[in-house]
Order: sequence, then C-alpha cells, then structure tokens
Amino acid sequence: MHFKYNRLNQIHQATRSGGFLLLLFFSITGTVVAQGKKDTVDMARDERGKYIHYEVVEQKNVGVDLLKERALSFLALKKFKAVKAADTQVNAAGKFIINKTALMLSHPSGELSYNLTFEAKAGRYRFWLADFLFIPYKRDRYGNFVAATSKGRPLENSPGKLNAGEWTSYIDAAEKQSAALAAEFKNHLAVVQKVKAPTAKKKVISKSW
Amino acid sequence: MKLKSFFTFSALTMSAATYAQETTTSSTPLQISGSVDTYYKYDFSKRANIGTSFAEDQNSISLGMIDLALKKTTGKASFVGELSFGPRGQYGSVPNGNGEAANADNSFHIQNLYTSYAFTDKFSMTAGYMGTFIGYEVIAPTGNFNYSTSYLFTNGPFQNAGIKANYVFSPKLALMVGLFDDWNVYKDLNGVSHFGAQLTVSPVEGWTAYLNMLTGRSAGAPGTGSIYDLTTAYQVTEKVKIGLNAADYSVSNDNGGYSGAALYLQNAFTPGFSLGVRGEYFKSKDIPDFDGSSVTSVTVSGNFKAGGLTFIPEVRFDNGNTTRFVKNNLDPTKSASQFSLAAVYAF
Repeated sequence: MHFKYNRLNQIHQATRSGGFLLLLFFSITGTVVAQGKKDTVDMARDERGKYIHYEVVEQKNVGVDLLKERALSFLALKKFKAVKAADTQVNAAGKFIINKTALMLSHPSGELSYNLTFEAKAGRYRFWLADFLFIPYKRDRYGNFVAATSKGRPLENSPGKLNAGEWTSYIDAAEKQSAALAAEFKNHLAVVQKVKAPTAKKKVISKSW
Repeated sequence: MKLKSFFTFSALTMSAATYAQETTTSSTPLQISGSVDTYYKYDFSKRANIGTSFAEDQNSISLGMIDLALKKTTGKASFVGELSFGPRGQYGSVPNGNGEAANADNSFHIQNLYTSYAFTDKFSMTAGYMGTFIGYEVIAPTGNFNYSTSYLFTNGPFQNAGIKANYVFSPKLALMVGLFDDWNVYKDLNGVSHFGAQLTVSPVEGWTAYLNMLTGRSAGAPGTGSIYDLTTAYQVTEKVKIGLNAADYSVSNDNGGYSGAALYLQNAFTPGFSLGVRGEYFKSKDIPDFDGSSVTSVTVSGNFKAGGLTFIPEVRFDNGNTTRFVKNNLDPTKSASQFSLAAVYAF
C-alpha cells in the first residue's frame, strides 16, 4: 500500500474548504480555555483568612473631607448599594459579574458580591474589598441568566476537587476585577472632578461651500 | 462541502458581528448558551408506565436534546432565540415542525423566540414565543432539579406565544399582563384568545412567589379553559430550599380539568452533591359519565455536580386511586415505580 503525504496540498484543501477557519477557531478557543484555567491562587488574604484586595494610597495636600467626598462620588457613579458614611470611613456593597468566555462570545456564569471599605486621613487613604460571596447564575425559562440562589458562598470555601477548576477561575476573576476597580477608584480620587460643559454639536452647512 | 461552507460563512459572520459589537458601547456581546442531556430509565414493570414528559424510553440509553440559546441586547432592545434538537425537543415538546403530524419526525423545536424592549428600568414589553409563566418546572433539563417531570408540568402549558407588559413596582412586587395565543402553538387559529397575568411577590430575601392565571378558549375547545397557579420557592439557608406548586385548571361547561400540588424539598449536603424529594398529588376532574382519577407521586433525586455536568440518579414511586398502571404481565395495577440516571451538561 502506498501512502502519499502532501502537506501543502492538505493545507490548501483545508483553507479552501473552510476547515482552516474551523481549525483556527478551535485553536483559539482551546488557547482561551487553557489560559482561563489556573491551578494556583495569587489573591491576598487578610488576618481572618479571607480574600482581600487592600491598598494604602498617598494623596498629599488633600484633606479628609475632600477625599471622602470624592470616594462618595465614585460610589454614586458606579451605583454601589448600602453606602454608609461615617467621620472618616465609608462602607458600601458592590458586585462583579463573572463571565464564562470562549473566544469573544460569553455569558454570565455568576456574580461576586463584596464589601468595600474606605478610610481617609490627611494626605492619604486606604481602602479594601473583602467578604466576597459567589452566587452562580442559571438560565431561566425565558433564556435569561439569573441568580440561582439568594445565598452566596464565601469565596474561601472551596467546593471540592470536582469543581475546583471553576472555583479557581472565580478567585482569579475576583483578583483581576478588584484590581481594575481599584485602579479606577484611585484615578477618581486623584483627579479633581470637574463638571463637563456640554460640547456644541458640529453643524455642517452644505449650502455655502 | 456545503456544510464546510456553512461553517466558514458562520465563522466569518460571527467574527464580523463580534467586531461590530466592540465598536458599539450600548450593546452587550452575543450570549451563547445551552445544554445537552441524555438518560437511562428502567421501569420495574419492564415497560414505560409512568406518565412523565421526556424520560419515556424503557431500558434504553436515550437522548434528551441539545438546546442552543442566543441572546443579544442593544440599548433597551433585546432578543432571545432558543432552539432544541433531539427527542426531548422534537417529540416531547409541542408543537413539532409546522404542527402537522406528518412532519413531526423531522423538526426542531422553538423554546423561546421573542424580542423585548425596556422602556424604563421598571417597564418592559415582550412579544413572541416564550416559555410559559405557569408552573414550577420547565422543558430545559437544566432548569429542573428532578429529571422526570411532575403531572402538573406535563398537563399544564409548556409555552405561550403572545405579547406581554411587565411592570416592576419595587424589588418586592411586579406585575405582568398579556394577551396570548392558545397553549403551545406558533400561531393561533381562532385569533388571540387568551388573557394571562402574573403577580410576583418577594416578601423576604430568598423567597419569591408567583401568582399566575391564564384564561381563554382554544380553537375547537368545548369551553373556556382557566388555569390558576401558585409557584413559589424559598431558599431557607445556603443549603436548604423549599418549593411549592399548586394549580387548578377548569374547562367551562363541565368539560373537566385538573388540580394538584407538588412540594419540593432540597438539601445541598456538599457543594457537589444535593438531594431532593418531590411529593405530588394530582387529580383529573370529573366530567359527565366519567369520574376523574388521582395519583400520588414521590420522586427522590440526587444531583452530583462536576463543572458544567450534573448526574441525576432518581427513583420514583407513583400510586393512583385507580388501576392506571400495568404490571409485567400487563395486569392493571394502582402503582408503578422506576429508576433513572440522567446526565445533563450546561454551557
């Protein structure tokens, strides 16, 4: 029996027939899935053993009241709930949506609720995100993703070996989304907020040219 | 070759679509989700006996369906399109194909096909073909804890085509009213004939109750059918959940109907294993010259979860007040029991 191996011809056939795109699709999807899986967790833990995103930020020449005011405006902008302000402290509740992603197509697979705490002193402030609770989503009868339960599971309570991979990805998402939110928060507190004047709409006058 | 061209075209279309989405700030990415299910069932009378939807085949490793759902939101407008292929969708759900019996063997089934517009955060309108708002259980296996279905589910509506308005008064109270076609049809032969409403009440966190009603005269029906339904679920703790479904359906002019109730108790012993029991009482109503019968059913199901996969071992015992089942030798009997093992994957 004679086997003839013509690699160029195979690539040509695959490209012509659309197999190439399929191959590319599965390769990228595989890469994305592989990147999504992570065996170890980098997120920091606090004294209680709970996951936390904690930062202390120097903000020289800015008083406590102004820092607090800016923090409150950020929380209002991001629609945080249960916002409580004391002398130098602000508490609020927020949530991240966790998306299950393959290539560029995704759907929400759950949400992570958390508490944000902010404390200010003259010239510096600190804030932290903690008490992460995961609530899985499920598809309802109308095809929408909704919370499967009202009781969240602490992110520290691993669900065991069978679901460890998914759980690690949730912790990973908590770390990344916390860092992204923290960056926005710090940026908001660093910049003097100005009310934007409405920009005049550009008008094209086609008659006079 | 045609199939490959189709895949190529699909890949290019999807790429273009996702690129377009990135440039539009008010739209969300196209959501793709779905499920696949398969099962084995063994009825101890050695023949299919218990009237459950979907898990019907005796002593056979059988298919459920592959269910594919798309959802897209652009600004205030959104659509959902959900199609299913396989016995659960094609033969278990109604209607099949164009509704003609001759075409029933070669069809897919539409689970949802509707568009929606949210005028405000509180008020939205939806039109199309939707999963019914009546009842506790649903067609998609990912939406149910038990794999076999209740009598209330099997006898109630599966889906409703129509137009509905939804208003959210507060996080604890919402109201839906709508005009609908006959049950389970893509088009209504006697005009838009049904009126339906749903009051949603959430008294405390974790507890939601739906008070539903649907009334109207279907094409060719001897009377007006009205169903009143209570569906409620309470997540007591992280581990314990209680559900209840009670319904009454009557067709006017003594044309029968049914009533019944099902209680659902579930406990998550570990994050990967839950056990649940469903107890149900179901009674068909009397019609002239024919007495209705009743049946009591107890179903115990386990849910083993590993990622997107759920294994559902299940035993079920049904007992009627009349000889509605059969034994091995085909003698009539009042009771029946079955075991099933299902695998459901959600993505």
